[in-house]
Amino acid sequence: MTWRGWTTIILVLVFVAGPYSFAANAPLKSGAQRRVASTPINDFRFIDEYGAPFAFESLSGRVVVVAFVYTSCPDVCPMITASLRQVQVGLGAEERQKVHLLTVTTDPEIDQPKVLLAYGKRYGADFANWSFLTGEPTALKKVWQNFGVGVKRKGRGLVDHTPLTAIVDQKKLLRFGYVGPSPDPKAVLSDIRALLSERLSAPAH
Amino acid sequence: MRIGFWPLLVFFMFLVGCGRNERMDTVYAERCLSCHGPGGRGDGALAGMLPVAPPDFRETVQRKSNSQIRRVITEGRGLMPAFEPALRPAEITDMLQMVRFLSREGRDVAWWERFDALVVAHCSIPWETVLGYDDPPETEENK
Repeated sequence: MTWRGWTTIILVLVFVAGPYSFAANAPLKSGAQRRVASTPINDFRFIDEYGAPFAFESLSGRVVVVAFVYTSCPDVCPMITASLRQVQVGLGAEERQKVHLLTVTTDPEIDQPKVLLAYGKRYGADFANWSFLTGEPTALKKVWQNFGVGVKRKGRGLVDHTPLTAIVDQKKLLRFGYVGPSPDPKAVLSDIRALLSERLSAPAH
Repeated sequence: MRIGFWPLLVFFMFLVGCGRNERMDTVYAERCLSCHGPGGRGDGALAGMLPVAPPDFRETVQRKSNSQIRRVITEGRGLMPAFEPALRPAEITDMLQMVRFLSREGRDVAWWERFDALVVAHCSIPWETVLGYDDPPETEENK
């Protein structure tokens, strides 16, 4: 093949395949409303994307970003997860040790660990500090209520729910909530860093 | 020339469910409409918020095979969710058919595209089971 042929193929790949491949990492238009809160979050135990037990208390001392979505959501959930991925990418190496991301399902009927693992991989999630959680409906219901998330099943794989992305501080207080699609990653990162600096400036006991 | 009863019956069985129906409209309205829009032109209510605009089915679907469309529906693409296992195989077929129907609206349809519905219906039949190709159930004797 001539050099012109190769150039054509490369240009086609860059301009046609590129946007599809990196759609999940492309900038999103923010549509979420930021709210300030101060709600204590109770401990909970679920299972993660590998089917391993996961305890919220294991994140003690870290800032935790919690998003409530379900994998087959045809509405705003994909935008929330894409925003969360941008938040994860925006964290520095040191920050990643102090911040954990959680995606909690609102549809445990469909979202089994295998499904959540595939979902996380599709978004390029780094599972080192991002867990995808599911569990018993009764246990999940308590957590949804604790975060103020309303969930209503409409059919198989179809759920109405509050599109919440919450930020919980090191003392397990829900401090900020973003309600709606595409929470602005820069704003979320800014809130995370503010909470991290609070810890640094807190008086030693 | 006489055509036997059974071949005719089988042919009409293929045709059943090949037209656009309420099931297809429902599955499309519930899962696709918000991004792809009522006519599949990529102008749904959420389309403006997406980083990449959803495609206009009239421009993209014609070039894709049924298995390619089915794969996009079951595995997702970009921000589009994977609809398996949430949707049953029959619902995925309905969604596929609906995408095909919408892709033909407002453009010249090639003669072979008119047979798509028949092809989808044919391919949706579990032939291994119908023709008895499935492995026999495992018993103590044939282990």
